[in-house]
Amino acid sequence: MLSYIIRRIIMAIPLLIGISILSFGIIHLAPGDPTALMMDPNIKPEDMEAYKEKYGLNDPPHIQYLKWVGNMIQGDFGQSLIRQGTDVSFLITERLPNTLFLMLVSTFLALIISIPFGILSARKPYTLTDYSVTFTSFLGLATPNFWFGLVLIMFLSVQLGWFPTGGIATLNEPFSLWDRIHHLILPALVLATADMAALTRYTRTSMLEVLKQDYIRTARAKGFKERKVVYKHGLRNGLIPVITIFGLLLPSFFAGTVIVEKIFNWPGIGLLFIDAAFQRDYPVIMAITVIAAVLTVIGNLIADILYAVFDPRIEY
Amino acid sequence: MEELLRVENLKTYFFDKKKTIKAVDGVDFAIKRGETVALVGESGCGKSMTSLSIMRLVPAPYGKIVEGEIHLEGKNLVRYTENEMCKIRGNDISMIFQEPMTSLNPVLTIGEQITEVITYHKRLPRKKAVQQAIELLKLVGIPRAESIISDYPHRLSGGMRQRVMIAMAMSCDPKLLIADEPTTALDVTIQAQILDLMKDLSKKVNTSILLITHDLGVVSELAERVIVMYAGQIVEQASVDDLFEEPLHPYTQGLVESVPDIDAEIGRLNPIKGNVPTPDQMPEGCRFAPRCTHAFDRCFKEEPQLLQKKYGTRTVRCFLYEDEEKGAEHARKDQYSHR
Repeated sequence: MLSYIIRRIIMAIPLLIGISILSFGIIHLAPGDPTALMMDPNIKPEDMEAYKEKYGLNDPPHIQYLKWVGNMIQGDFGQSLIRQGTDVSFLITERLPNTLFLMLVSTFLALIISIPFGILSARKPYTLTDYSVTFTSFLGLATPNFWFGLVLIMFLSVQLGWFPTGGIATLNEPFSLWDRIHHLILPALVLATADMAALTRYTRTSMLEVLKQDYIRTARAKGFKERKVVYKHGLRNGLIPVITIFGLLLPSFFAGTVIVEKIFNWPGIGLLFIDAAFQRDYPVIMAITVIAAVLTVIGNLIADILYAVFDPRIEY
Repeated sequence: MEELLRVENLKTYFFDKKKTIKAVDGVDFAIKRGETVALVGESGCGKSMTSLSIMRLVPAPYGKIVEGEIHLEGKNLVRYTENEMCKIRGNDISMIFQEPMTSLNPVLTIGEQITEVITYHKRLPRKKAVQQAIELLKLVGIPRAESIISDYPHRLSGGMRQRVMIAMAMSCDPKLLIADEPTTALDVTIQAQILDLMKDLSKKVNTSILLITHDLGVVSELAERVIVMYAGQIVEQASVDDLFEEPLHPYTQGLVESVPDIDAEIGRLNPIKGNVPTPDQMPEGCRFAPRCTHAFDRCFKEEPQLLQKKYGTRTVRCFLYEDEEKGAEHARKDQYSHR
């Protein structure tokens, strides 16, 4: 198992190089550069040139790329072009925990809600219960999360005042756990919605298939109650395909944070990313892209390891 | 011998949106303690549904036991609640299935799958249950039982898995073992071993076996009595010797004749012509009449009843034997008035 993990990590290196080249290229294809946004329009052309020279913006792209990769390997993501003098690594370490926290909570939320509902649906297929769960799932899948987030803010926060409209904590107040949770509920819920719907559907399909298997009949013939049959003999088998989907959904969670953090003004890496993208803050964009790629690779690795945990037939 | 199981007028139907499928349509039989009874017939004749009905495992919500009684030691299982049935299944009645490759849970160890039955029904502590599981595995002839117990099913061959299934089924010393085509998926040499094993075990603990099969070779190997089913009904009941020596019902005759004879010089098999009627196109009168070489007018109009023949040791559902049984009553009536 350990050698498998090491092998997987080594295999991830070319993947990450590919991703970094692609994203570097794409960002540089976009028109405009940071100088256009941050400079006083009346700046003298020679000062502009000096600035560009200083930050290496006049170098050919491949030199820029190599410089960047070289520094990155040493843990230096460079300095933000917009927030002058701020290290990108500082910006990220400040905000990454917030995003990871949000992701973790909504992933957990998605799992504990979708799996039981998927099972419920599969145990009573083609009944009112099943149709209700299915209908709600499709509704969840079809609802864009920026819209859903705005609707929640409008009704629950603005009109009813149950939740704060955004942010991670009440300003100018000492830390309190309840305050954090209070701020977390809506963004976590919105982030979880779409994937929750997808996971419910996959759990249902998979469990429906599993409950038809011969070993389920064997378990019934042993005299076990339906609950034990479903949860002990069915669930572990039913979750195997769900793990695959879950591994694939992890990056989408990350992508989701970009929108959700913007809407709820959540000081995470997604919000940082979107601001950086609008301002062509290359070092920040690139650093976040690389981190997202690393997280995706880690997510897939976790999914593969979970496979082996759930399914003894898989050996590495 | 004392009677263990009695099935009376069992009717198990399946309900579709449009039609009703009568999978089991009025079946009566009894099994004595320690006796091995074979239930034979073509695919779709209702033999598997009969066995699932006894376990009360007819797939809901489409299938349902609509009528009849199933008595195990005098208690009517049809009236049992699901919770009460859970105490019977795996304990008093256990079952092994046709497909050993898929009948074991791939994600649980062999040991877990056997011990869970023992701890559940006998309420033994885990350690003792594991001990018992090892003994059971040895009993069914699995080498290295101590190490196999922590293995997963995919490491075992089909024959080994069927042995595990048998060990599992025998773990609570059941009164009745239902074996639904236990050897169909295995190759011939393994088949013989598994049959011997079942024979030995049933003698050792005096378990009755209801053997469901379409393989007459297996029947002659294992069973003492045979029940032949056709299209949801019993058409003949006899001891194994009688049945092979003198099959009465034209369908049974066809079955026995269709078995290839190793000494015969003729190169062609003797199949029964035609197909089993689909449940929604059940012929009027005798259900076998359209395929029967002896059929006459009456067969297509009237449904024959089960007739008792030769001092009550065999029954047959055919008009051909009505004349020679003067004053014969309907078998069912007769059978029960003796009790």
